[in-house]
Amino acid sequence: MGGVDVGSEGGKKRATNSDINMIPFIDLLMVTIAFLLITAVWVTNSRINADAQVPGPPNPTQELTPATPEKVLNLHIGDSDFGLVWKQGATVVSEVRVPKTQVEVGDGSNKIVRYPDLAKKIEEEWKQQGGHRDPSDRKLDQCILHSDNRTPFKEIIAVLDALYAPKREMKLPDGNKQVPVFNMTFSVR
Amino acid sequence: MSELFTRKHKNPHAHVIHKPGRRLMMHVPLRFVFNKVMGHGARGTNAGLNLVSFIDFLIVTVIFLLMSFSASGEIGVDKNVKLPKAENAEDIIDAPMVAVNGNQILVDGALAGSTRAIEELGRMQKIDELFNMLKNKRELWKQVQPGKPFPGVVILQVDQDVSALVVKSVFQTAAFAGYPNVSFMVGKLPSSQ
Repeated sequence: MGGVDVGSEGGKKRATNSDINMIPFIDLLMVTIAFLLITAVWVTNSRINADAQVPGPPNPTQELTPATPEKVLNLHIGDSDFGLVWKQGATVVSEVRVPKTQVEVGDGSNKIVRYPDLAKKIEEEWKQQGGHRDPSDRKLDQCILHSDNRTPFKEIIAVLDALYAPKREMKLPDGNKQVPVFNMTFSVR
Repeated sequence: MSELFTRKHKNPHAHVIHKPGRRLMMHVPLRFVFNKVMGHGARGTNAGLNLVSFIDFLIVTVIFLLMSFSASGEIGVDKNVKLPKAENAEDIIDAPMVAVNGNQILVDGALAGSTRAIEELGRMQKIDELFNMLKNKRELWKQVQPGKPFPGVVILQVDQDVSALVVKSVFQTAAFAGYPNVSFMVGKLPSSQ
């Protein structure tokens, strides 16, 4: 802005107005922003739980009592359909087949396969057959995944994503939390 | 003063050199100064830039980035591993990392076996090198933290094209080495609901 120099008598009186130079401050802000943008974490990864049920050595002090085996969901990945088989010990309680209708999400080379129908059916099956429903029950229903050895890992993840879609409330020490209804493990055969 | 700039009467003494000193703007012998003083000036050629809003923008951006800044950074993903994506996944935790790309098995960046032997054999098997490394890690953890229960958690970073046979073999080897709680690292998909 223009101004008028009112002059000073022999330079004795200090000017009453002084301008603050904002240029270094703007430089500082821009360098800070550049640093934070370069070091920012843009990609977030998550995890899907699985559990290997490794049998441990028997406890000699514990009396062996015959316990009623719990119902376990066996999820078979087939070529054209999925098999949902509830077993209690060696007894097959129910068996349902779900067609393998995949839905592709994304575009180009980033297409992701999902199975929404499988997720819905798993939820229905759990509502009918699931044993652990109460929020105070900290145990989860077990699911054993049977897949061909040649199945690519991305398909297994798509199936796991469908398996972990149904959730229930669980009371935890730090408050109520929505947890998946199933805990998955792989079948060895 | 106006006689300086009239076309009819020219003052022969208008451009005489005067002694230096203070003078009123009306007596500056320049037409544009005279016009400005008289109120007939043209628009100034300099335009002032209002930087206040720009500085506000920079400050808000810095505050936002500072609040989302994470000093611990991201958990490194092996560059040869392309992770599959899933929606129903949980937050990542700090645990030993086993990466499986097309050919190699790595534990926290160190080579721990090859996938070729598993694929050639065609059946699930225990991977000795991986087993030994994970077992040593477990022993070391117990020595460092003797009073605490061992969590037994390991994270698998598996490339999306790796076969189920390799995944099962790694999974089972980790379980037998004392890591029964396995988590698969995936990319996060936004919620579809």
